[in-house]
Parts: sequence; structure tokens; C-alpha cells
Amino acid sequence: MTALKQELKEALIDTLHLEDITPEEIEDAAPLFGDEGLGLDSIDALEIILILERNYGIRIEKPSEGKEIFYSIQTLADYISEHRKK
Amino acid sequence: MLSHPVYIERATASFQSAENGFVFAEPDYKVWIKNANMRRRMSRMVRMGVATGMECLDGITEPIDAILTATGYGCLTDTEIFMNSFLDTDEQQPSPSSFIQSTFNTIGAQLAILTDNHQYNNTYVHRGFSFESALADAISLLAEGDARKVLAGATDEMTPTLNTLLGRMGNWKHYAPGEGAAFFLLSSTPPEQTPAIIIQDIEMITGDYTKEELQHLADNFIAKHGIQTAKFISPDSYKCFCGEYPTSTSFALWMACKAPELFKTGLPIVICNSFLKNHSFILLRSTL
Repeated sequence: MTALKQELKEALIDTLHLEDITPEEIEDAAPLFGDEGLGLDSIDALEIILILERNYGIRIEKPSEGKEIFYSIQTLADYISEHRKK
Repeated sequence: MLSHPVYIERATASFQSAENGFVFAEPDYKVWIKNANMRRRMSRMVRMGVATGMECLDGITEPIDAILTATGYGCLTDTEIFMNSFLDTDEQQPSPSSFIQSTFNTIGAQLAILTDNHQYNNTYVHRGFSFESALADAISLLAEGDARKVLAGATDEMTPTLNTLLGRMGNWKHYAPGEGAAFFLLSSTPPEQTPAIIIQDIEMITGDYTKEELQHLADNFIAKHGIQTAKFISPDSYKCFCGEYPTSTSFALWMACKAPELFKTGLPIVICNSFLKNHSFILLRSTL
């Protein structure tokens, strides 16, 4: 799980071009969206959907679940562990 | 031919003066694009254009009546990322960010968002005439009284892929590959600082011409204004600094603004350009 979370942090930094942020600075439980956390927005959510599809073979079938799944690195990693196809 | 003078109130570019002329110098992006979320989505070209445009508007309190941008190549880095994502994912998962940022009007749109400008906003993508077309539109707006102040500028970037492809086609025989951004605040009224530079006319010609034929066309161009002699700025005299790209005349215009000694003889100046089959002349004079 630790390796998966590290992998996710690196993918987010790389794909979303997060400036001046290292994987170590992203807290596992901190919110990814909104002003409190990384400040990601709806376009970033689309990019994360692509990361899940491309890297783990996961398609989010119910968009309403997205808010919970994408809440933090921890929730993303939990969901991937459970549903990954590759 | 213009019926009303158009003044260059301010000029900014991704270049700076150096010992032997001018060198490429990227703006400090964090200064001009403060929003980190906006900045991180922008490719280098978009950053370069937006930062140069924002610098040009720095401290300007009067309303800007139009934002006109130009690019010959477009936002290539993002286009390449977007096209590659098509190839890599078998056309299933193209990247949304790179699509948004690959569109040609990205820079003009971002400038409008950052300055909360809801006025006329247009982008010209006309190969070697892109900047000239934006300038011609700006001049029309100002000359006809539809605008009092216009931001007009151009941006082009060189990517390794384009460098290789155009190199294979023999495009770098005369000049090194180049890139850059330059923006101008144009006004229908004389600026406070003097001497001011006035854009008097622009001409664009397409076709295969020899150097002698182009000189003849340039002579005819100035003769239309009753001018017998002018100082011609040839592509050789500015592409040695900025390299070859479709909107390199924006650099030449910026260079003319930064080198008032060019006007010391009292002669009008003609910026001459040839980009493939696109040839242009921009006639300038100073209020010196």
C-alpha cells in the first residue's frame, strides 16, 4: 500500500504538473480537492480518471462515487487496491 | 494606407538587451502569472505569451478595448502531448488538459481571464503573416475609432519534434530555429513618453520573389507614402538574434522600439520579412 501511495503521488505530480511539490509533502489523508488540500479542480478529476483507467484498468462506473474515491491519496489507494485489474 | 497614426505605447518581449545585441530571456512566470493552478497547466509557450502580455499591461489603468494574439505554429508542446496521448491509448483516453491548452487562442483567452477583459479577443494563425494580421486588425480598430487601446502580440515556440521535421525540410539553411513572444500596447493617441514610434503601414505579399524583386516591392511600398528613402531592416539583421519563426517580425518591432538609435537619421524604418513564401513590410516612423 505504501508503494502504491507513493506511485499515485508521483503520477499526480507528473500528470497535473504540480509545481514545487514533492511526494513527501502530499499527506495521505489530506483532501485533494478544494482550498484545504492540493486545490485540484474538475479538469484534474478528469486526468485522475485517466490515470485510473490507464495505469490500473479501473473505470469509474458511478460518477457519484467519485467524490468519495477521489477525496485523498488514501481513499484513492484503497479503491485501487480493491478494484485494480492490472 | 492608414488614415490615423497608431502609436506604440509599450513593448515587451521574451528577450533582453545583451552586449552584442539581444538574447532570449524567459520572463519570471511566478511574477506575471501568480495563480499556481493556472500556471501549472500552461506549457512553456503559453506561459511565455501570457507573462509577456501581462508585463505589457502592468500598471495600465485605462481600459483595453481588444486583445489580439498571433501564432504561426500554435501551442505545439500541448498539441504533441495531445496527439501522442491519442496514439498511446489507441484513441481512447486523450488528455483533457493538453487539449484545452493546445488550442491556438489559449494565450489570448488566458490574458482576458487574468485581466478580466470582456472585449474583442481574436487570434490570428496565418503562417508568416500571423503577427502582421493581428497588427493590421489592431490598426484598423484604432484608426476607425472602434478602440483606443489594443494589446497585440505574438508567440511561437520551437519543440524538438518541429526542429527535426523542419530541419529535414531544409528550413534552417539561412537562419537558426527560433522562438519568442512579444507584445505591444497600441494606442490611437500619442503616449506621454517621447519619442514615440508610429506604425504607418503594413503590406503582405505571397509568392516566390528574388531579393531584387523584394527590394523593388519594398521601394514601391514606401513610394506609396511619398517616401524616397528609408532604412530597411532586413531579416538578416534581426533573425541573427531571434532565429527563424513565423512571427519573428514581432521581435523585429520590439527591437526597433528598444533601439531608438535606429531612428536617429530621421529616416522612416521598414521591417522586412520573408517566411517561406510570405513576405511583409512594416513601415515605422518616430516622433523624434
